[in-house]
Amino acid sequence: MTKAHRHIVTKGSTLAVAGALALGLLPLFGMDAKTYLTLTIAGIAMGMMLFLVASGLSLIFGLMDVINFAHGVCFAWGAYVAFSVFKAGAGWVEADSLLKNFSIFALAVLAAMAVVGIVGMVVERVLVRRVYGSHLFQILITFGAMVVLTELIRILWGPNDEVMPVPLTFRGNWDLFDIIVLKYPIIAIAVGLLVYGSLQLILRRTKVGKIVRAGVQDPEMVQAMGHNVFLFFTMVFAAGAALAAVGGMAMAIFNLQVYPDMGDAYLIFAFIVVIIGGLGSITGSLVGALIVGLSYNYVAYLMPPLAVGVNILIMVLILLIRPTGLFSAGK
Amino acid sequence: MNALTIVQIQRQEEKKRRFFSVVFLLKMAVVILFLLVPFWFSSFESIDLAFKVMIFAVLVASFDILLGYTGILSFGHVMFFGIGGYSVAMLIGKYGTATYFHLALGFLIALAVTLILALVISFLSLRVKAIFFAMVTLAIAEFAIILATKLSGFTGGEDGISISAPGIFKVSFQYGTLLGLDITGRIVTYYFALICCLALFVMLLRFVDSPLGRVLQAIRDNEARAEAIGYKAFIFKTISICFGCLVATLCGGLYVMWVGYANPESILGIPIMLDVLLMVIVGGMGTLYGGLAGAAFLKLAHAYLPDLQHLARQLLPAAHLLHATLERWLLLFGVLFILVVFFFPRGIIGSVQGYLDRRNTARKA
Repeated sequence: MTKAHRHIVTKGSTLAVAGALALGLLPLFGMDAKTYLTLTIAGIAMGMMLFLVASGLSLIFGLMDVINFAHGVCFAWGAYVAFSVFKAGAGWVEADSLLKNFSIFALAVLAAMAVVGIVGMVVERVLVRRVYGSHLFQILITFGAMVVLTELIRILWGPNDEVMPVPLTFRGNWDLFDIIVLKYPIIAIAVGLLVYGSLQLILRRTKVGKIVRAGVQDPEMVQAMGHNVFLFFTMVFAAGAALAAVGGMAMAIFNLQVYPDMGDAYLIFAFIVVIIGGLGSITGSLVGALIVGLSYNYVAYLMPPLAVGVNILIMVLILLIRPTGLFSAGK
Repeated sequence: MNALTIVQIQRQEEKKRRFFSVVFLLKMAVVILFLLVPFWFSSFESIDLAFKVMIFAVLVASFDILLGYTGILSFGHVMFFGIGGYSVAMLIGKYGTATYFHLALGFLIALAVTLILALVISFLSLRVKAIFFAMVTLAIAEFAIILATKLSGFTGGEDGISISAPGIFKVSFQYGTLLGLDITGRIVTYYFALICCLALFVMLLRFVDSPLGRVLQAIRDNEARAEAIGYKAFIFKTISICFGCLVATLCGGLYVMWVGYANPESILGIPIMLDVLLMVIVGGMGTLYGGLAGAAFLKLAHAYLPDLQHLARQLLPAAHLLHATLERWLLLFGVLFILVVFFFPRGIIGSVQGYLDRRNTARKA
C-alpha cells in the first residue's frame, strides 16, 4: 500500500467515523434513552444483515466488474430455504433446548448457503460468463435472472406471505438493568460480526484471499501469473450469493415473515450501501450498512414515510462529496 | 452554381424514391391501421389494446433514446411516466376541476417537475461511473413508489386518484355518428392521443437523426473519442436524459386521460418498468421502431395469454406444473428476455434491418 493510498483510506475512515458519530448522536434530541437504545440495537442488527447482502455484491463487483441485479433474489431464496428447513424440523424449532435450537439454526444456515451457492454458481456459469466486459448486457441478464428466480419462488413455495418460524430460545428478550433488549437482534449482530471477521481472515490470511484481492486490482495479471481467474470468479459469485442467503434468512427471522418480493427492497438497500461504502471494499460495506441501518431505524421512528428517503439523501450526499464511496478498492 | 457532387446526386435520387419504398409504405400502413381500429372493431377491448400499444410504443421509443442511442440504462423511466400521469390526475381530479385549462396545466407542471428531477438525477449520477446510473435510478424509482403509496393524503395511496376528463374527452360525451362510427369521448381521446403519439414519434425520429442525435450515438459507441473530438459527453447525456424523460411524461398524461385513474400499480410499478425494458429488447435497441414492434408483441401476448392458458387446460388437464408456469407469465417473459438478450440482441427490428442491409450490400457487390 503506497502512502497516497493510505492517506485516502485514512480520509475515508475519518469521514465515516464522523458521519457515524453524527448519526448516532442526532436522535438523542427528542428521544428518551430506552427508545434510543432499542432503535440503535435494531439499527445495528439491520446494518449487519444488510452487510451480509452488500458485501457479496461489492466483492462480485470488485473482482469481476459485474453489478449483480439477481443478488436480491438470492437473499429471498436464502430466506425460503431456511423457512423450509424450519418447517421440516419444527420439533427442534419448538424444543426448549438451546442445543436443538442452535443446531436447527446452523443447519438452516448451511442449507441456505449450499442451495443458494449452487444457484449462484449456475447463474454465473450459464448467464453471466457470456457477457463479461459489457455492463449493459450484464445488467440486463442479471435482471432477467432476477425475474425468473423470483417467479420460481412463487411456483415452488407459493405466491403468498408466510410466517417465518423462530427457534424458541431466540424469541423474547433479556432484561439488563431495566433496559429490555430483544434477543434476536443481538444474535444477528453476532452472526454479522462473525462473518465480517471470517471474511477478513480469508481475504487477508489465506492464499485464496490473496488471489481474490489481487484479482480485484488486476484480473488479467492474476491470469498471467498462472491462476485460473475464471474459477475464482465462479467461487466469489457463489460465495456472494451464499452470503446474501444468510442475510435473507437473518432478515426473515427478524421480520417474522417471508414473501417472494422480499429481495427487491433489500437489493435497493444493498445498492445504497455499496454506493456509500464504495464498490469492492468489505469494510466499506460494513460502514455503509451500519449507516443505512441506523439512519433507517431512527427516521422510521421519527418520520415513518421518509425512512427510505433519508438513505437516498445520504447516498446523494456521498455521491457529491466522494463519488467513489467512502472506501473504494481496486480500479 | 457548382456542379453536384456524387453524394448530392445520390441523395436526390433517394429523395425521389423515398415515397415508393416498401419500408415507407409499411410505415403508412401502420398509421392507417391505427386510424381504422375504431371503425373495424367496435369492442372496447380492441380499442383499449390499440391505445395501449401506441402509448407504450412512444414510451419505449423515448426509453430507447436513452438506452439505444445514448447507452444509458435508467430504471427510473417509468417514474417519469408516472409523474405525467399523477400530475394530470391531480390537476383535473383531486386538486382542480375538469377543465381544459387544468388539463393543460397538469401537463405543464408534469413537464416542469420532470425537467427538474431529470436534471438533478443527471448531475448527481452522470459524474460518477456509468454503472452507478442504473443503481441510483432504481433506488429513486423505488422511493417514488414508496412516496406515492405512503403519502396517501396527497396521492391517494394504493387506490390512487380517479378522474373524469374534461369536455370532449369525457367518457359520457356524445356528438353523433360519422361514417357509421359513434363519436364518443373515448373515440375523441383515442384520436387525440394518436395525433400526439404520431407527433412525438416523428419528433423522436428527427431527434436521433439530427446533428445532436448523431453526437449521442458517437458517445454511445466511443465516449472517450467523442470527448476527444470536442463534445462534452456529460452535457449531451444530460440533454438526452431530459428529452427522453419529457416524452415519457407526456405519454403518462395521455395514458391517464384514457384509463381515468392513476395509482402506483398501474403507472409507477417496477413490473411496468420491466415491460418497457422487455419491449425495447424484443423490439430492438437503437431502432425507435423497435418500440412499436415490442409494444405490439408484448401487449398482444399479454391480452391473449389467458386464451392460451384456457387452451392448455383443455388439452392437458393433468399437467399442473404447466398450468402453474403459464399462470406466472412473468416467468415466461423472464426466460424470453434472457433468450432474446443472448440470441437476438438486436431484437425484431434490428434483426430485420441487419438482414436487409446484408442483402443490399450483397446485391451491390
